Amino acid sequence: MTTVLVADDSETILLLMRTRLELAGYEVETAADGQEVTERVPIGGDGPDILLLDAMMPRKSGIDALRELRAAGVDTPALIVSAHHDPNDVDAPTDLEISGYVTKPIDFDLLLGAVAELTEKPG
Amino acid sequence: MLTALTVVGVGHFIDQRQDYETSLEASYQREMLARAELNAGQHPAAARLAIVTEEANREHLRDSISDNTRDTVILVGAGLLAGLIGALLLFTGLIVAMRRPLERLVDAAGRLAAGDRSARVEVGGLAETAALGKAFNEMAAELELEASQRDRLDRMKDEFVLTASHELRSPLTSVQGFAELLMMDRDSLTPRQVETVEIILDNCRHLARLLNDLLDLARSDAGRLTIRPRPTEPAPLIEDVVRTMRAQTERSDQTLTEKIGPNLPPIEVEPDRIRQVLVNLITNAHEYAPEKASIEVSARVADGGVEIDVTDDGPGIPPAQLEHIFERFVRGDAGLTQRVGGTGLGLAISKSLVELHGGAIAVDSEVGRGSTFRVTLPLAAPGAVEAPAPAPPAIAERPR
Repeated sequence: MTTVLVADDSETILLLMRTRLELAGYEVETAADGQEVTERVPIGGDGPDILLLDAMMPRKSGIDALRELRAAGVDTPALIVSAHHDPNDVDAPTDLEISGYVTKPIDFDLLLGAVAELTEKPG
Repeated sequence: MLTALTVVGVGHFIDQRQDYETSLEASYQREMLARAELNAGQHPAAARLAIVTEEANREHLRDSISDNTRDTVILVGAGLLAGLIGALLLFTGLIVAMRRPLERLVDAAGRLAAGDRSARVEVGGLAETAALGKAFNEMAAELELEASQRDRLDRMKDEFVLTASHELRSPLTSVQGFAELLMMDRDSLTPRQVETVEIILDNCRHLARLLNDLLDLARSDAGRLTIRPRPTEPAPLIEDVVRTMRAQTERSDQTLTEKIGPNLPPIEVEPDRIRQVLVNLITNAHEYAPEKASIEVSARVADGGVEIDVTDDGPGIPPAQLEHIFERFVRGDAGLTQRVGGTGLGLAISKSLVELHGGAIAVDSEVGRGSTFRVTLPLAAPGAVEAPAPAPPAIAERPR
């Protein structure tokens, strides 16, 4: 079963994401901030198939968590959820292999489509 | 100084002349006395001598007076000349003394008017120019203080809007997301409940649009609304927007057509931003025009650019509103806006975006006939090859 790790500091959003993803047939893990994300994703091990990280969270942001994971060699696909993302924002990191940005309010048709596409097992 | 010396000199000459005249008078008296003595036959020799002496004496005095007059004339002439030269020197000196400070003042005023709030002048020179310089500096300092306070308030406002727009998105996501969840179970809902949830969803979309628009405006105000123009073929862009919007217009039985001139040259724009402008304009036409109205998007080469027009045969805009149509929160007729879902920000944002591209936006409208919004966009540099679009993110925001 495909596992999605969702990180957001809002419990309501986590509940919403979990519900929609589980309805679509995914197994869902949740984290309340970036710190929990880095603790839950094993280095080189059998981790989640895709990360859905909120860009802004207390303690550690989704971007910072992803930066640590990438530095440790984790290449799990990641989608960044941000309140607003302007593709022209100069501070958007380009070196973190971010598969895409999801803006709030979340369009779940687009989100579920992207998750399906990114977690398709080759062959 | 010289004039004063002249006056003293002339005074001296006048005194001297009076002395001469007094002496002349005395000499004449003495001669008269001598002549009387002579007539009386007393001391004829002495009297004759006295007469001759006094005559010679008076001759000498008359010479002196004539010299005195000549000297006075020379002195007065010299004095006048000296005064004239003095005045000329004084005037030149004044001009020189005032010119530098005045030039500096004019220069500083120019810089201040051009927006350099730190423009100040060096206070100096004559008392008058120094006072002027001081007054200017005080005014400039006051302006600078006011401007910096205004800047600070503007920044606070921009930050507030950015933060508010950010913070409101999470609860909005929840409301919309859970309403959508309810709708996934619509078979178990009563028709009344379905209608209720649909209203919630409609308003969520409206709120999301408002937040996006506010965010764009705040970015624009903060100078953070940036574009990355690239050579873009206008025809496919317009066709794509029209195709996307047709679903909406067909619901109101409106016809949405395109009329694109042949061989349109590439324009220098960021396609997503121009798409946003065209969607705004078509959405306005769609929302304000009645059912069965027609909306036409046309494009042609004009004025060194490409002009894209969005024309509708809707109710038109009254002249009083037309002037303010591109301002924020200005919306059409209140009766119409009851059913129109706009935010009142679309045209303000469209104007910012078009102008950011170096283009222009204008409107013609006649009540009862309809409106035409004209967007002119700059051409791409000749010979520029259409750059491949940057790799799109996996999930792009849907066209608004």
